[in-house]
Amino acid sequence: MRSFTWWQFAWLVVVLNGPVVAQSVAVPFVAGFERFARHRDVDEAVAGRLLLSELSCTACHTSNSNDLKPKLGPRLDGAGSRFRHNWLAEFLTAPQQAKPGTTMPDVLASLPEAERGAAAHALAAFLSSLHEPFPDIKGTGARGVPFEFWKQGDADQGRRLYHQVGCVACHKPDDDYETVETKPSPLDQLIEQLDEDELRELGLSAATRRVPSVPHGNLVAKYSPQSLTYFLLDPHRTRAGGRMPNLKLGVVEAADIAAWLLKDGGSEIVPNKQQLTFSEDVIQTGRQLFRELGCSNCHSVNGVAAPKMSKPLVDLTMATPRSCVGSVQAGLPHFPLDSFQAETLKSALKENRENDSNQRDPLPKQQSEFAMLKLNCLACHERDGKGGVGRYRRPYFETVGHVDIGDEGRLPPPLTAVGQKLQPGWLTRVLKGTGDVRPHLRIRMPLFTDDQVKSLPTWLAQADQESRKSASGKDVFGDVSKLAEDGRQLLDTGCVQCHPLRGDALPGVVGTDLEGIAARVQPQWFHDFLLDPGKLKPRTRMPTFFPNGKSQNPAILDGNADRQVAAMWAYLKNADRLELPPKIQKARSQSYELIPKDRPIVLRTFMKEAGTHAIAVGFPEQVHFAFDAEQVRLAAAWQGRFLDAQGTWFVRFAPPADPLGEEQVSFPPGVPFVLLNESSGKGNELSEPNFDAKKAGYRFQGYRVDKSGVPTFLYRYGRFDIEDRIRPDADRTLVRRLSITDRTREEPPATLWLRGHFGKSLKHDGPFAYTNDVGVSISVPKGLKHAGKMETREAGTHWIVPLKVEQKEMIEVRYQW
Amino acid sequence: MVNRNTLLAALFCWLMTVVAANAVADDFADENDYYRLVSVDVAETSTSSRAKNWKPAPDGLALEVSGLTVLDDRRVAVAIRKGEIWILDGVYDEPPKDVTYRRFASALHEPLGLLKHGDAFYTAQRSELTRIRDTDGNGEADEYLTVAKGWGVTGGYHEYAYGPKLDRDGNLWLTLNIGMGLKGAELDRTIKDPILGYRQGRWRGWGMKVSPDGELVPVCAGMRSPSGIGANAEGDMFYTDQQGNWVATNSLHHMREGAFFHHVEALASMNEEGSPIRNVKKVAGGLSYPEAMKQFPQLRPPAVWFPYKKAGQSATDIMLDESDGQFGPFAGQLFIGEFTQAAMHRVFLEKVDGEYQGACFPFRSRFASAVLRMAQGTDGSVFVGLTNRGWSSLGTASYGLQRLVWTGKVPFEIQEMRAMPDGFELVFTKPVDRQSAMETSSCEVSSHTYLYHSTYGSDEIQKQNLTVKNATVSEDGLRVRLHIDGLRDLFVHELVASKIRSHNGEPLLHPHAWYTLNRIPK
Repeated sequence: MRSFTWWQFAWLVVVLNGPVVAQSVAVPFVAGFERFARHRDVDEAVAGRLLLSELSCTACHTSNSNDLKPKLGPRLDGAGSRFRHNWLAEFLTAPQQAKPGTTMPDVLASLPEAERGAAAHALAAFLSSLHEPFPDIKGTGARGVPFEFWKQGDADQGRRLYHQVGCVACHKPDDDYETVETKPSPLDQLIEQLDEDELRELGLSAATRRVPSVPHGNLVAKYSPQSLTYFLLDPHRTRAGGRMPNLKLGVVEAADIAAWLLKDGGSEIVPNKQQLTFSEDVIQTGRQLFRELGCSNCHSVNGVAAPKMSKPLVDLTMATPRSCVGSVQAGLPHFPLDSFQAETLKSALKENRENDSNQRDPLPKQQSEFAMLKLNCLACHERDGKGGVGRYRRPYFETVGHVDIGDEGRLPPPLTAVGQKLQPGWLTRVLKGTGDVRPHLRIRMPLFTDDQVKSLPTWLAQADQESRKSASGKDVFGDVSKLAEDGRQLLDTGCVQCHPLRGDALPGVVGTDLEGIAARVQPQWFHDFLLDPGKLKPRTRMPTFFPNGKSQNPAILDGNADRQVAAMWAYLKNADRLELPPKIQKARSQSYELIPKDRPIVLRTFMKEAGTHAIAVGFPEQVHFAFDAEQVRLAAAWQGRFLDAQGTWFVRFAPPADPLGEEQVSFPPGVPFVLLNESSGKGNELSEPNFDAKKAGYRFQGYRVDKSGVPTFLYRYGRFDIEDRIRPDADRTLVRRLSITDRTREEPPATLWLRGHFGKSLKHDGPFAYTNDVGVSISVPKGLKHAGKMETREAGTHWIVPLKVEQKEMIEVRYQW
Repeated sequence: MVNRNTLLAALFCWLMTVVAANAVADDFADENDYYRLVSVDVAETSTSSRAKNWKPAPDGLALEVSGLTVLDDRRVAVAIRKGEIWILDGVYDEPPKDVTYRRFASALHEPLGLLKHGDAFYTAQRSELTRIRDTDGNGEADEYLTVAKGWGVTGGYHEYAYGPKLDRDGNLWLTLNIGMGLKGAELDRTIKDPILGYRQGRWRGWGMKVSPDGELVPVCAGMRSPSGIGANAEGDMFYTDQQGNWVATNSLHHMREGAFFHHVEALASMNEEGSPIRNVKKVAGGLSYPEAMKQFPQLRPPAVWFPYKKAGQSATDIMLDESDGQFGPFAGQLFIGEFTQAAMHRVFLEKVDGEYQGACFPFRSRFASAVLRMAQGTDGSVFVGLTNRGWSSLGTASYGLQRLVWTGKVPFEIQEMRAMPDGFELVFTKPVDRQSAMETSSCEVSSHTYLYHSTYGSDEIQKQNLTVKNATVSEDGLRVRLHIDGLRDLFVHELVASKIRSHNGEPLLHPHAWYTLNRIPK
């Protein structure tokens, strides 16, 4: 093993590989190969197959094996808009020199020196002649697309993003970039104290060695700010192989990262267009070369003929000197492999020949392992003891706000047995980029190509599950229809200490929200994990609530552990529709529930009971009301808890506020006073439309708050200014003081009729009161009662009470329910 | 295989190929060199701006600034979206580390403006314009008087009320967002125009003014999302609108009696008492804007179109630079907030045949979040109120207050763009390099218009490239006169002056300008 450690730097190392190649060259860099195969952490056969696909051998040497599908090179339509001409020429002249680690073979290697330059130039001229406009990025309310955003990149911001969002999972971090210090895990602390031999003896070599970085090449020479920005925005558009995943960058983010990557370069916008001219002859020569050299086997270009195929893979050996590997051969592309790569490839070919005759399909386990090597999933995710964020890269995985949630919370999740854990549909969403559940991580789960999204979840599911079909919730938990409330209570005992639910959490809690978990994880996994978390996830921070499989809470479901887990499942399955666990509810109420303590609290909002001009007033006495400032009426009242203000304060959709308490009651509709046309004596004014404040000519004028915090509503009705102060008096009791001033002071004084009560039926309730059919009892002062009269109309019965207003009157009305 | 001769021929051609000189390598000038940003208080939330369960940051005030007014050389007052007014002291300090916060008022329903006028604050809540005072001097408001109400509030969440801003006659101006996607009980609170059939809450999509004696007067109609109101130096009132149905792209409009702008559903209130717009019996839709103007006589073009993406994606507040030079070389011009792109644009206006029209320019980007409100401080610097909740914006924060300060360095910018009978006159902030300015290829000019239709936004249509025939430079080097054939009235004229250099060789900080040429001067 030790003899291979130097190989990790192999791509930088001068390799003398046969007599012909005498200059110093790097070798192709394949991330999975460099990290694992060089250390024999994967089977030789797998390592060889990895080279077959990643070096795109099968682009010329066809294979029936689907997993050997060639990676292929970028689509080159529009190459002239994307790459600088000089870089293309240099790269074609000597690929490994221009871009160390490139997986592109040297297709001009066998040409004499003088011709090579001309051929490279012709090819570059042809490619530079291929123009394609960059796609129009649609701007929407959800997506800000500044004008010519690629010109506005901010390199400092780009540097931060590069180190935060995931670029450095594969690429090299800047040595000088400082991360915020995180506390090393106990394991890391231990590792720091061991030397290499000790680490090897402990079997920790793989986990602790430096992971080689995917080289960038000279980006300044290759890209313009615009073309690099567009590449970062959507790498799959030109590289269907999807090895570079899509990090879901916004246009400004992409421009910022591009600005940082190109910080040492100029700022020309378009690499070639209108700046370089080539004769049509050169371009045509280049086109011809492109086809004849087999470039189109890997690089699609519109209008260039179908690729020419070479010997099928199954017939290939590296025994003959006419090979793409080894010495340069006329007419063949040349792959400058080092001897380890060459040997690995050779044995893969041998194995391929043998297997092909056996017609053996790879197992899902192999398929998934292979796919994860190709896509470098293992750069971030550990699976079956392999991969994961390397020791020296961990500091770049930061949390939002730098909260300490341990490595388990900070690093991308391990994928060992993920097929048992996650539902395939959810895994598909994750790969599609719509399954992000860890908003507290700066790192982003990237987006993969459709092809990858289609196959990987299935393979993982098949690889990890013993039986073909996963157990349903019913299989695992049986009938859970009556268990949700128990589950809610159980969640309160532990889960809520670390997990938010529906975006609500105990103070300071940062973690994965449990909402929707039943659509994400498999019921069986949920069951097993809750019963013994450490068994499924060694060193997890998740504590066990069922030591030895025993519940600690005998009060719920007789302490039956299985039923308790089932109950939590039952609750979480429908958590979006059920009440929050009590502790979260309490935490939430501390933020958003309005709790009048010393003084009343006022909230203007929408309310079902009081309309779109509602003014809700809550009192420390726990009796609250809502006033409708549009209809100028006391609309509703309730007891107990007042209101939750989150919707009013912070929800875009302006939902109506619902009273939290109980004993809720609605008061009769309509304005408080009417003027009756005494001469007609018909009381037409009591017909419905006249209770409408606008039609009746009421004008709401606002309110004043007195020293004790109680609002007094002000409104005008004809010649009267009315002040209306309502406050609780006892349980289910409000007292309303109405002060009326006649602005005109005209003689004779007018008679205002208080609309005392209204209902389908009204009945006497003590000497000065009436109760209606919904149980609201309203009383007026003694002296007024006898002057009141009953008027019955189609809609119901009115009790109206006359009030002669001489300059100023005051009346106190009492509401009980 | 390509033979050797072909390759040699290719080599020969290579040697003969003329490689044009590299394009001028512009160093991207940095807006920050001229206008720097000071963050008074910004915060990032852990929930995204559109999260259904959005939460403010755990610490500090949820400073989602929806109204902003400068009190003096230490303090500003802000309205925040949750419904409060706060007074912030020490906001000019650098760094602003000792800012104090005092709550002045509460229980306001989504206030979207703030004005200090006389001894009171004014703000538009969803359902009314409110005058707020502290009558007992304890520092907390105790009087919330209704100055005006009576517009429809159906409960649809788009029905924002913005303002107020003051005009030269002491009127308070408000704008009322149109309702969108009304349903259920919301529809019961609408009114309907019997001929056109549109249903909206009363005065929805209208610009209103409240006279000093408290009368609510409908002035003009056809607004979609009029989140910005402001006066120009003459005291005429303008509002901004945002792209959407009937609104091709963001726009700036002069509010005056009887003007109809674009969103036709505002006509649901046409027959209400006091409406200055009557008798629209037919709506011309699906036409180019110039054609629609012919067929829809009530339609008034915006003073300025802001081409989508190029000059923002959602225009907000309007602020007049009244600093007389303390904020740089743009005294008397209007500045327009930009929500989605977290930016600010600049507008030059002139009157042609008695109507306003003019040009917009990029001005400053990279605010920490969506720019909703702006107010000029006593030292000329500009306070900028930020909040992106419910929609989305660029920037690293969710809400807060920043201050934009002129560094004293004059950027090389197109200060003014004036229409001429046969072209434009450009006024620059610094003398130009004469040679670059006289080169007719230094400026690219094109024109386009939009579709006037019920669908969301419009592409730029009927695009045409124009040729600069001749460019002359004034003696002082500050003015460049472009003679251009083929100007089209009612078209937006785009100018890209990327090759003009200042006398000391700088490129323009922003080489683009868009002039809304409603009328070609005679």
